[in-house]
Amino acid sequence: MIGKINVVLTTVLVGCALSVVNARYQRNHLVNDIEKLATQQRQLDIDWSQLQLDQSTLGKNERIEQIARVNLNMAPLSPARTQYLTEGGK
Amino acid sequence: MKSSAGNSRSNSRVAASKGVAFSKSPVLAVRLPDWRSRVVLFVLFSAFAALAGRALWVQIADNKFLQEQGANRYMRTQELPATRGKIFDRNGMVLASSLPVKSVSVFTEDYKANPASPQTVRELARLLEMPEAELQKKLNSERSYVYLKRQVEMDVVAKIEALGIDGLDTRKEYKRYYPQGEVMAHMVGFTNVEDVGQEAMELAQQKSLAGQPGSRRVIKDRLGRIVEDVGMSREPHDGKDLTLSVDSKLQYIAFNSIKNAVEKFHAKAGAAVVLDVHTGEVLALANWPTYDPNNRAHLTGEQLRNRVITDTFEPGSTLKPFTVSLALDKGLITPRSTFDTGNGRYLTGGHVIRDTHAHGVIDVGTIIQKSSNIGTTKISEMLSAEEMWEMFTKVGFGQAPRYGFPGAAAGRVRPYKSWRTVAKANMSFGQGISMSLLQLAHAWLIFARDGDIIPLSFQKVTEKPVGQQIVSARTASQMRVMVESVVSPEGTASQAQVAGYRVGGKTGTAQKVVDGRYSQTHYVGNFAGIVPMSNPRFVIAVMIDDPSGPFHTGGAVAAPTFATLAANALRAANVSPDSTVTDIIIPEHPLEESN
Repeated sequence: MIGKINVVLTTVLVGCALSVVNARYQRNHLVNDIEKLATQQRQLDIDWSQLQLDQSTLGKNERIEQIARVNLNMAPLSPARTQYLTEGGK
Repeated sequence: MKSSAGNSRSNSRVAASKGVAFSKSPVLAVRLPDWRSRVVLFVLFSAFAALAGRALWVQIADNKFLQEQGANRYMRTQELPATRGKIFDRNGMVLASSLPVKSVSVFTEDYKANPASPQTVRELARLLEMPEAELQKKLNSERSYVYLKRQVEMDVVAKIEALGIDGLDTRKEYKRYYPQGEVMAHMVGFTNVEDVGQEAMELAQQKSLAGQPGSRRVIKDRLGRIVEDVGMSREPHDGKDLTLSVDSKLQYIAFNSIKNAVEKFHAKAGAAVVLDVHTGEVLALANWPTYDPNNRAHLTGEQLRNRVITDTFEPGSTLKPFTVSLALDKGLITPRSTFDTGNGRYLTGGHVIRDTHAHGVIDVGTIIQKSSNIGTTKISEMLSAEEMWEMFTKVGFGQAPRYGFPGAAAGRVRPYKSWRTVAKANMSFGQGISMSLLQLAHAWLIFARDGDIIPLSFQKVTEKPVGQQIVSARTASQMRVMVESVVSPEGTASQAQVAGYRVGGKTGTAQKVVDGRYSQTHYVGNFAGIVPMSNPRFVIAVMIDDPSGPFHTGGAVAAPTFATLAANALRAANVSPDSTVTDIIIPEHPLEESN
């Protein structure tokens, strides 16, 4: 009887030990995944900052005005040649 | 045999007592005293006990040191970087942002042990954009660790690392970028190489913008992958982002108007500020000369100076509406009250007050429209010095500003008890009292609003500000009518007219104080105005410092600058026109105000 219990307990013990090993292995993998994603997140943050900077640099009013005037031959509108439509007016 | 055995038993007691005879010869029989073996036994026992005690001590009682040492064998401390907060304009456009870069430095001893070939050094000099001789000097320096260049961009660093030079070291750091460059320089400021704010908002908001780098303990496996996060030693905190009140578009318009005006009127400098009438936000703040915050190699104090905020000047006639509104508010005069300004000369307190033209008997509205010093003096004679001082102080003149902007000037209003008759007269038309352009614009809010003043803000305002009533709403609206008449072909600011919009404002020309005396050749022309008059949206103040061309008055230099600025700003802000007048009439010889 005691012998049987011992066998069962030993089997359970070995099973537990193996599952601990497995759990640690899984955890290491998951931690590694988290780290990879965190690194990716940081890189994306940097990319986002870079894109915001690019937007601001390329969207500079000075640059837009330059292109509008020189490349596109545009001129600022003046009220003298603007017709304003007012609600209810003629 | 028997006898010898008997001998040994009797002669060597020690050995015999244990039943072991080392020798059968009685000559060789060892005679050891009994205590010696006990001593050996005791020493051995205590030695083991000491070992056991020590083991117990290091394992249980004082295990910290060894555990740390053990942990060091597999744990690593990882630095967690924190970035400085970004600065945005009110529409979410980035004005300042930090990106990771690297510093390139060299351990000179390692380098000297195995110096690079001349070609490699030449290549390095090219990548670092510095003369080869200078680079050689740094590489062969006496010091053990030398920075070759800081804030090198990542792609360049990758190329440098590929050269494989011995002793070369790169460290991660941050570089601040200012995409809007010189246009925003005086509003945003800049940081130094350590990413610490040095000027303007970067300095004012240093505490909240700065990030706090942290670190944590991790366990790495043999491939260098992190397999366990043991915990934080220091939590990293990223800097907080900051949204300013400034509008990039209006800022560009203001900057361009000032830049062109300074060139056109051959002035030394110029400045402009645009305020939002409803929120008290600073929408634009422009200065010329300026600098590029991305490249500050040859920076001078002149470029760095923020004339809107840190420079004070005596505004001149721009201050007349305050004297008049005070008298109106006290019920001492009405817009129809008339005053005799005579032939343009008026003696008070032993000094002569002059007007540029003889205006004769004119009403209050005309005093403002024609900018009569004598008229304003006569109105101020009805007011006490204390009342005037109180008015100036309430609108912020001479008071330390609370904008949260570094270096903001308070200006100067002398205590009213020391005012003599002529000083009071002078102050009624803006002389002998100094303030910054921003203070002037701020005070003008009382006319644009219903007589109340609200706090200024350099950050985007989300809540409706609470105003402090200075004059009644009725007085404010009467003043608006008067200042609108200034910007008419008959007024002193005919050049401030804007096609399609009703505009009001007041010119000012102040003689600069040179060597303690009013100069006859150096002036500051300024203009403060409100647009559009039907529903005020902006207060704009312009200052042109020391124009050296044929024109020097506020009406001739600041008013047209204001007009260009206002016209473009109104268009950019989609404000619908409130006037059908599109042909601007500027008289051939526009009326000029007296100094």
